[in-house]
Amino acid sequence: MPALTVEELEVRFPGLETPALAIPRLGIAAGARIGLTGPSGSGKTTLLNLITGLERAGTGRILWDGTDVARLSEGRRDRWRAANVGLVMQDFHLFDGLSARDNVLLPLRLARFALPAGAGEEADRLLARVGIERRGQKVETLSRGQKQRVAVARALIARPGILVADEPTASLDAEAGAVVAALLIELAAEAGATLIVASHDPRLLERLDRVVRLEAGRVRPAEG
Amino acid sequence: MFRLVAADLRRNALGALAIVLIVAFAAALGVAVTLQERALRLGSARAAAAFPVVVGAAGSETQLMLSAVFLQPAPLGLVPGKVLSSLAADPRVAWAAPVGFGDFVEDYPIVGTTQALIDGLGGLRGGQGFTRLDQAVVGAAVQLRTGDRFHPLHGQASSGGHMHGETTYEVVGRLAPTGTPWDRAVLVPIEAVWRTHGMEAHAGEEHAGEEHADDPHAGDAHVEETHTEAAVAGAGPAADPHAGVDAARVTAAGAPGVPAIVVKPRSIADAYKLRQEWRTDTTLALFPAEVLTRLYATLGDARRVLSAVAMGAQALVAAAILLVILLHVGQRRRQIGALRAFGAPRLAVFAVVWMEGFALLGLGLLAGVGLGYGAALAIAARLQAQSGVALPVLFTADDLTPLLLLAGATAVLATIPALLAYRQSPAAALRG
Repeated sequence: MPALTVEELEVRFPGLETPALAIPRLGIAAGARIGLTGPSGSGKTTLLNLITGLERAGTGRILWDGTDVARLSEGRRDRWRAANVGLVMQDFHLFDGLSARDNVLLPLRLARFALPAGAGEEADRLLARVGIERRGQKVETLSRGQKQRVAVARALIARPGILVADEPTASLDAEAGAVVAALLIELAAEAGATLIVASHDPRLLERLDRVVRLEAGRVRPAEG
Repeated sequence: MFRLVAADLRRNALGALAIVLIVAFAAALGVAVTLQERALRLGSARAAAAFPVVVGAAGSETQLMLSAVFLQPAPLGLVPGKVLSSLAADPRVAWAAPVGFGDFVEDYPIVGTTQALIDGLGGLRGGQGFTRLDQAVVGAAVQLRTGDRFHPLHGQASSGGHMHGETTYEVVGRLAPTGTPWDRAVLVPIEAVWRTHGMEAHAGEEHAGEEHADDPHAGDAHVEETHTEAAVAGAGPAADPHAGVDAARVTAAGAPGVPAIVVKPRSIADAYKLRQEWRTDTTLALFPAEVLTRLYATLGDARRVLSAVAMGAQALVAAAILLVILLHVGQRRRQIGALRAFGAPRLAVFAVVWMEGFALLGLGLLAGVGLGYGAALAIAARLQAQSGVALPVLFTADDLTPLLLLAGATAVLATIPALLAYRQSPAAALRG
């Protein structure tokens, strides 16, 4: 359950005078449930990519319990992310042709030759927890809400300390979105993970501890 | 990981199948060229094995070899009868047999010879050898049955020959299969060929100045002229078509000429001496195997051209496949990048894409080897039906090197999309 400290973070894109993202300081307590909101292009996804190590920060520090993700090499960022971060994306990114269970286990399968002991049971438990009954069903035949629930189970299979979701409900109808939102919050609490969710969904945001609002790459005073 | 590869290939089953087929056809082209060329070389070498030394009239070595060994119809000069008689008497010669051709039954060449060649070709599988001038022994692949009677046709039926209606042969035996053009030959006593052509060429004419084949004590002045026909006058019309075969008459000094003589020397040294001795102004002696080797050395360039064409086709296919794979990977960028975002190591991403590419190309390669083998077999079977030359289609240890090289090239080729996927940024992939 790591805490995050962002210091002097600045991202510039070529040809733009003002930095796309400039965060002098942002702290997130261990186990906190944080919402990230703001208009399109305000830098939400860029920030999530930086704090999950998907992209490398040019300047500044991104400290997760003392590990500066901004300083890690690409390979080490991959390993760190695999061990510490569970990701849920708007578009699910499930692998068609594989069953729900195989999709949940895929990150573990690819990371090592043999599945760690108990991984299969953990996958079954998580799928049951998110309400997927037919674990052997091919994911392409699932509804969108079911797909996102499989994605949530996948994000938690490696028991990460950090759960990051980027617009997890944006491509779902209200009902399915509410289910996924509830699952994210409940499962983050059950796993004791720090939860960071970028979203426009007020029903999701209102259930979080704190909402950070980004505008043009800068943190605005939080509401709520 | 394998499950992922399998799932992805299944999802794109048609495209994968297309790639496998294209690769297979390209590989098959190269394999078939190699196998077929080898089959031709081995098959013809084996066909020549029963003919250690061939003696003919001075002329083209290649033509003499093609006519005597492969029964290719061609006008050949004749060697005088005394050549056969002295070869037959030579202590270095195990056996010497005349080969006289020019007539056909259906499209099977009729070859006038003696029992010695029947034995030399491997003997009979059924029936008996010819003992009378109106008897014939057929090759293993000839569609005539024992007891069948036929008239010889001068020239091939397909090119408008004319019938020797006055001569009739009866099939009395069948040769064991030889895997050579002789499987399609009809063997008759050489004297019968002489007789047929003597009667035809000199019907109604006087034969006062000519020797008779059945007269071993005839004068020594008999010198055969070079004829464009396969056999020549000599046996007079007096010879009875039902007369018995007489080996002594064939090897008599005054016997008519023949287009070629097959000689089996007693030893290799004898073979060289005989060849030396019969290379004269008027006669030609050769080792068919050696002439074949020379022929192949000449044709080697053609084979190289064919191989180059096959390789060029393979290179083109490789390029096309590469393009397809690159497009495929491009489409899957999000998915592949996403794998990394969710915790797959870069190396695993590389391995997945590489295995997919290698599986497709490797499968195509394997199928291509099979397909090429099948094609070579089919071509060989067709050629065998036409020519009678058994073409052994077989792989040798030498094939392993190019196949391994090809497999290696495949492995290298598969790394290109794998590297692209490896370098794919996961963040960009998630954005799509």
